[in-house]
Amino acid sequence: MTRSEFLSLLEQRLNGLPQEDLKRSMEYYGEMIDDMTDDGIPEEEAVAAVGDIDGIVDGIISETPLNRLVKERVSSRRRFRAWEIVLLVLGLPVWLPVLLAVLIIVMSLYIVMWSLVISLYSVMVSLGASAVACAVWVFVRLALGTPLQSLLFGGAALAAAGLAIIFLHISNITAKGVLILGKKILVGIKKCFVRKEA
Amino acid sequence: MDIQLKRGLLEVCVLAAIKSEDSYGYQIIKDIRPYVTISESTLYPILRRLETADLLTVRTAEHNGRLRKYYHITELGKKRIEAFKDEWKEIVSIYDFITKEEKGNDQK
Repeated sequence: MTRSEFLSLLEQRLNGLPQEDLKRSMEYYGEMIDDMTDDGIPEEEAVAAVGDIDGIVDGIISETPLNRLVKERVSSRRRFRAWEIVLLVLGLPVWLPVLLAVLIIVMSLYIVMWSLVISLYSVMVSLGASAVACAVWVFVRLALGTPLQSLLFGGAALAAAGLAIIFLHISNITAKGVLILGKKILVGIKKCFVRKEA
Repeated sequence: MDIQLKRGLLEVCVLAAIKSEDSYGYQIIKDIRPYVTISESTLYPILRRLETADLLTVRTAEHNGRLRKYYHITELGKKRIEAFKDEWKEIVSIYDFITKEEKGNDQK
C-alpha cells in the first residue's frame, strides 16, 4: 500500500469523526510515513510499519468521547431535524405529561423510601427518650418509697434502651439500602440516555 | 504488562523524550523504542491526551518542504515527570514488600 492509498483508506474509515480529529490523525500518520521514508525506509514498508488500519481506527474511535461522536452525528444530519422538531412540538401534549408523571412517580418513590428511614429513626429516638425517662423514674419512685414500682420502671428502661439499640441498627441498614438504591436508580436513568444517544 | 499501567508509563516516557528539546513523532518513537515497545498508533492517542491535559504544546514547522509537528513540554509536563519520580519510590517500596513476602514463603 502506498502513502496516499493508506491515507485515503484512513479518511474513509474515520468518516463520522469530527473534522478536526480526522484532519489531525491524517496529518499525524502522513507525517510519520514521510519521516520514515526520509529515514531511508521504503514507502511500502513504512506504511506497513505504521500498523494495521483496523487497529488504528479502533484506537482512535475508542479514544474519542461519546459526546463528541454524538454531536458530530446530530449536526451532520441536519436534513432530518426540521420534521423532527415538528414532530416534537406536535407531540408535546402527549409526551410532556407522560414524562412529568414518570418523573413525579420516581421522585415520590424516593421520598417514600426516605420517609421510611426517617420514621425508623424517630422510633429509635422515642424509645431512647422513654428509656431515659424510665431511668429517671426509677430514682423518683425509690425516693418516694415505692421500691416495687421502681423495679418495674427499671425493667421498662432496660427494655426501651434495648429496643432503641436494635432500631438504631435497623435504621442504619435501611438508610444505607436507600442510598445504594438511589444511586442505582440514577445510574439506570443515565444509561437510558446513553443508549438513546448511541 | 497491565494496559493501564503501561499507558501511564508511556505518557511519562513521551514527556521525558521532549524534556530537553522539542521533538516530533518519529523521533520520539526512535528515542523511546530502545527502552520500551511503542507503536506509531500507540503514540498518537498519548500525544493527544498530553496536549489536552496541557502537559505539552504543539507547533507546526516546515521541514524539507513539508510540515512537521513539534511537541514542546510545558511547566506542568515537567512537574508530571517529577511527580512520577516520587511515585516510583513508592512503587519500589511496594515491590520490595511483595518480593520479601515471596522470599519468606520460599524459605518455608
